[in-house]
Amino acid sequence: MSNNNENAVFTGGWKILLFILPTILILVVFLYFPAWHSIVLSFFRSNLFLGTRKFIGFENFRNLFIGPLAPAFIQSLFQTIFLSLFIVIIGLPISVFLAILANKKIRGAKVYRMLLIWPFALSPAVAGTIFLFIFNPEVGIINTLLDSLFSIKPRWLDSPILAVILVIFAAVWKNLGYNIVFYLAALQNIPSEPLEAADIDGAGPFRKFFNIVLPLLSPTTFFLLFTNLSYGFFETFGLIDILTSGGPVGPPGFLDHSGITTTIMYKVFEDGFGGSSNMGFAAAEGVILLIMVGIFAYFQFSHLGKRVHYQG
Amino acid sequence: MRKIFLSVMFVLAVTVAVFAGGVQETNVKEATQIYFWHAFSDAPRSGWIQDRADEFNASQDDFRIIVEAKGSYRDTLQAAVLADKQGDAPHIVQVFEVGSQLAFDTGIFKPIAEIGSFDTSDYIKPVLNYYTINGKVNSIPFNSSSPVLYINRDKMVEAGFDANYVPATFSDVIKVLEVAKAKGVLGAKYSMNLHGWFYEQWMAEQGAMMVNNGNGRDDRATETLLDSSPSVKIGNFMSELAKKDLYTYTGKLEDWGGSDAIFQEGKAMMHVTSTADLGNISSAVNGKFNLGAGFLPIADGVERNGTVIGGASVWVAKNHPDNELTASCDFILYMTNTKNMVSWHKLTGYYPVRTSSIKVLTAEGWFDSDVNQIVAFDQLLATKTNKATAGAIAGTLLENRSIIEMAFQKIIQGGDVKAALSEAKILSDAKLAEYNANF
Repeated sequence: MSNNNENAVFTGGWKILLFILPTILILVVFLYFPAWHSIVLSFFRSNLFLGTRKFIGFENFRNLFIGPLAPAFIQSLFQTIFLSLFIVIIGLPISVFLAILANKKIRGAKVYRMLLIWPFALSPAVAGTIFLFIFNPEVGIINTLLDSLFSIKPRWLDSPILAVILVIFAAVWKNLGYNIVFYLAALQNIPSEPLEAADIDGAGPFRKFFNIVLPLLSPTTFFLLFTNLSYGFFETFGLIDILTSGGPVGPPGFLDHSGITTTIMYKVFEDGFGGSSNMGFAAAEGVILLIMVGIFAYFQFSHLGKRVHYQG
Repeated sequence: MRKIFLSVMFVLAVTVAVFAGGVQETNVKEATQIYFWHAFSDAPRSGWIQDRADEFNASQDDFRIIVEAKGSYRDTLQAAVLADKQGDAPHIVQVFEVGSQLAFDTGIFKPIAEIGSFDTSDYIKPVLNYYTINGKVNSIPFNSSSPVLYINRDKMVEAGFDANYVPATFSDVIKVLEVAKAKGVLGAKYSMNLHGWFYEQWMAEQGAMMVNNGNGRDDRATETLLDSSPSVKIGNFMSELAKKDLYTYTGKLEDWGGSDAIFQEGKAMMHVTSTADLGNISSAVNGKFNLGAGFLPIADGVERNGTVIGGASVWVAKNHPDNELTASCDFILYMTNTKNMVSWHKLTGYYPVRTSSIKVLTAEGWFDSDVNQIVAFDQLLATKTNKATAGAIAGTLLENRSIIEMAFQKIIQGGDVKAALSEAKILSDAKLAEYNANF
């Protein structure tokens, strides 16, 4: 197949530009401009209510890492990474497992698939409210059940460890549908030849899964790894806001400077739109998050990307 | 293709017809529109405001009050500030009490005392004091409340106390709960939600300032007093409750509904929340147990100074012609007149902010029907007038609340009281310094 200019679909440069223009426009308006604006804002002392704007250089960034405001930020930085990693580590294996079950040709498979996917259709606020009702320590259904069966009433929302587990659990549950959709699609595209060959060679189901199915799923896993990480970074916000409001405060020592389920995204909101709205400070936090995501993306594509097995 | 073209034309024609009608209608009424932004999303309270606006609109032809709910208190104030920047500010804005300094500092409002002369003598003093900044009444008090103690009287009797007994101090509360627990009373707990508002109340009750410079009323506050001894007393109370396993809450900060539910379900013996919830809690309890109310328990060994008013007031934005400012003021005064404050109180449980309204309520026998109702008034009217009970004002009072709540959560989890409060002070002072650096 020759790929010279005469046979290519698009010949001139301006045509390409024309077709990507809508995407570029959307990116500029909703992504690049706000990002640029945040970067500029992070060098100012700016208050939303007062409408003030005073250039202070790197003071906002310095306050993030030195002084009384720093411990809370560093803690939330650590928590963001921790939470996102666990969402991936727990969420993806469960998703693969459920997707394989849902891919089985049994009666009512479509119903099961739909039921597995529906949590994704819920808004984070609704998901958070559902969990809040279920896990109310005094009147929630879980504790009413546990109390009558084992006479225990775990403090789901203010025991730091349980609160973190609950948020991770809720976040994983909420995103399960998304992951399963992608895995289902990938599973249905796996060619039957290698599996048949494995059958002939006498490979068991586990060997087939780990040596054939999993490698063939790796492009999907690679994609989901990144979307789930960024889900952990950005989209857990609504869930956290409703479920724990970023709390409870962690155990003494390193983790007691901020709520234990406060991610950077939540902290950006708290500092920028909560309280007296210190926009410059919040923008600086946002810039750090931007840099973090950039670093993750770089490592993912430069290192992990090479190990992915693409078909064809 | 033809069909599509025809249907598009049809939709266009209908749209034009509909909007033409709309334009015509507004042309008939040439009333100047006055926008009122508030923060009540629930039907009873926003409906009440709408009814008052309708009455006011019907009473004259020059102005038309348009009422809009804008989300939370914070959202409402933010929206007003942003609208003002675009030259499109609402006329009247409801601002919560802790946002008073913030609203003052935005510079988009005009002190109500400068708009027209109005008689302030009828407003209940502690309420008006909160909204007086630099000697001027800035806003008109609207929905006002303070916390009271709610008691499950059945549990009180079960523990061997008189049904009408009301613990007056922190140590009384602990004593009652300990006795009840020892007697095996189920739910021998104190169930206040973890909120900085109660801390502010307990500081005022002790006659203590929360921030320096006369609680921020002599000059801009530059330092919080979170590590002061009155503050430590409050911390010690929460610490002792938690250590003796006498405190319960949902675990979420500021979870009003969650804590109310715990008390209403009979899982707690004593509960502290706003007077404005008396109606809701009474109807939720609905005879499941005997509900009692009493003054907010205070720290031991101090004279009772009274509570700080909570709730919100209404402000008038300055960037409007004079006649619109006067009309805004007229509407606010109409909305908070004697008769309307009576119906507001009956509907919501908020204080009627006028002395004359209380007289009307008393004459009607309102307080005879429910003895719990009078508790809140007695507590408010017994409040001494000083800078502590006027309430602190500072730009970062909201952050201060969250910081206190976190410190208290640490204390409840077994943390050292003084260490937690000292750390809270450092953090709160840093935020205040950041805020003040804007000027």
